[in-house]
Amino acid sequence: MSIIKANSITKTYNPNTIPVHALRGVNLTINKGEFTAIVGPSGSGKTTLLNIIGGLDRPTSGTIQVDGQNVSELSDNQLIDFRQKKIGFVFQSYNLIPVLTVSENTEFVMLLQKRSKEEREKRVAELLHAVDLNDKKDKRPSQLSGGQQQRVAVARALASKPTFVLADEPTANLDSASASNLLDIMEKLNREEHITFVFSTHDQRVIDRARRVVTLVDGAIDSDVTRD
Amino acid sequence: MLFKISWRNIWRSRTRSAVVISSIAVGVWALSFVLSFSNGLIYTFIQNAIRDQYSHIQIHHPKFPEDKNNKHYIENADSILSSIKQIPEIEAATSRVITTGMLSTSHGARGVQVMGVRAKSESSVTKFNQKIVEGSYFIAGKKNQIIISRRLAEKLKVKLRSRMVLTFQDTKGEITAAAFRIGGLYSSGNMIIDESLVYVNDKDLAKSIIIVESNNNNLDVAHEFAIYLKDSDNTALIKDKLKKQYPELLIEDYYDLSPDVELYETQINTSNSIIIIIFMLALIFGIINTMLMAVLERYRELGMLMAIGMNKAKIFFMIVLETFLLSAVAAPIGLGIGILTVYLLQDKGIDLSAFSKGLERFGMETTIYPAMDIELYVQISIAVFITALLASIYPARKAVKLQPVEALHKI
Ligand SMILES: Nc1ncnc2c1ncn2[C@@H]1O[C@H](COP(=O)(O)OP(=O)(O)O)[C@@H](O)[C@H]1O
Ligand SMILES: [Mg+2]
Repeated sequence: MSIIKANSITKTYNPNTIPVHALRGVNLTINKGEFTAIVGPSGSGKTTLLNIIGGLDRPTSGTIQVDGQNVSELSDNQLIDFRQKKIGFVFQSYNLIPVLTVSENTEFVMLLQKRSKEEREKRVAELLHAVDLNDKKDKRPSQLSGGQQQRVAVARALASKPTFVLADEPTANLDSASASNLLDIMEKLNREEHITFVFSTHDQRVIDRARRVVTLVDGAIDSDVTRD
Repeated sequence: MLFKISWRNIWRSRTRSAVVISSIAVGVWALSFVLSFSNGLIYTFIQNAIRDQYSHIQIHHPKFPEDKNNKHYIENADSILSSIKQIPEIEAATSRVITTGMLSTSHGARGVQVMGVRAKSESSVTKFNQKIVEGSYFIAGKKNQIIISRRLAEKLKVKLRSRMVLTFQDTKGEITAAAFRIGGLYSSGNMIIDESLVYVNDKDLAKSIIIVESNNNNLDVAHEFAIYLKDSDNTALIKDKLKKQYPELLIEDYYDLSPDVELYETQINTSNSIIIIIFMLALIFGIINTMLMAVLERYRELGMLMAIGMNKAKIFFMIVLETFLLSAVAAPIGLGIGILTVYLLQDKGIDLSAFSKGLERFGMETTIYPAMDIELYVQISIAVFITALLASIYPARKAVKLQPVEALHKI
């Protein structure tokens, strides 16, 4: 079952001055339960593509459907709502609210959704257990290592049970042990809870862990390989 | 949760928050001081006006105030006065015989208002005896004494013990005159009063001007009763009581008598409002600046919040709340210090004698006792919170306008 369907997506930055063709007609379908890496050299359009899929940016042409919904039809405020309900984001950095503790950060989106206290507490406990940070739940982000912060980001992204998780170079700022640890957790969540992950990377060790690897070169898909 | 985030955000940049909080606090302190000062000024002014000029309540013949003709007198002044003095809320009361007249000396003549007073009760109502600066107050049993101001004495080139002639119309309209001798010189602190009022004994004056219709030659009359209350708050109550007791007489309180008391009050209120507005303007730019810095500093974080689904209304509210909380911390501190300052100064007062030459011309005291009332504190608090809310709008709009992709730069 496809949950993301991108049709002939193009994106041109600065169309009126010095146009940069960041994406040149990308067609991509992602199915439920995938663990997919978008790879390619720096400047190949990975971030642009993830932004468009995530409803953070709009394509110059082409359509994008997420969960059957045509994203380009949504207003800015509807997009915020849509992102909150359907998508879990893990950014490269600045993922967490510095003044909130680990468990408050994890809880945050559920609070926006006005979930009950019991549900929130249960989910936070579950997730912090899953990312192995139970003992840090009352710490502030600044008291954690980079790898721990990214794990909190994963927990936060999953809290509202999104349709899929988008992660743009989630390991870019991590040492290799932390990167591999984060990948372990993502893989486990994908395997055990069937959470769909789409992440970008240019790190070969991360690429090796993906089941499907979509390679972008100069804003177009160069290869699309699924392994078992 | 928003509350928690906003509250903790305030303490994130401690130095900056401390600067804003202390500047708001200092502003509030200064404001409460300035307002209590002007409040004290008006209070002192009104108290002095009551003591020196108007008393709390005055009683006249209904036609006297507009006509000022001495034929509009009230008979049986003695018995009215003693029955007024029975009222327990009244501290002192007196009656006066009043006429306009011409004061002539060998140097010239001058139009004056002649106040015929009861020596003893006049001093308990107006403390006039304390204003004598040369010579003495009325001496009992001595005939035809006159007290004029030192200023007027200088103008007329007369001294203590000088003789002067007062010419006036009697109640029938006939011109009449009487000779007086200066027993004392006063200084009221009010130039206009000094130049226009002279004081004599009421019986001396009555003898010259009052031609009683009934022709029993009874001089038991008055043009004016002045009543000083133990407590200003009872003014309306006693006024009503006297109105019932003397329906045929005109009973007025100091508001009726002195349009300038009310005018002064409204002027002070206007100037207070202007001060509050200036204060708000000064504060508003400080707050906008700080909050703008706080927003710009957190651009990426705010972008992230929008990316993960915090809507614009909530972001806006969060910034407003943060500003509001800042002032909610600051305002009580400023008010607290303000209350303390006023408390410390309200007994000693602030001596303005350096400027007293100017103030005296307007009949004002030279020591001001700052006075605060709850209403002013409420006004200040409201002003601060309105300022905070207004100041938060621009930074909050700035926060809402950001695009998450740009803010995050790259996801
Ligand atoms: N906001 C932008 N304005 C102009 N050009 C941009 C902008 N964002 C990205 N680009 C350009 O688009 C191309 C693709 O960028 P990006 O999607 O960030 O690639 P990647 O994430 O693979 O490094 C690059 O050439 C980049 O310089
Ligand atoms: Mg990128």
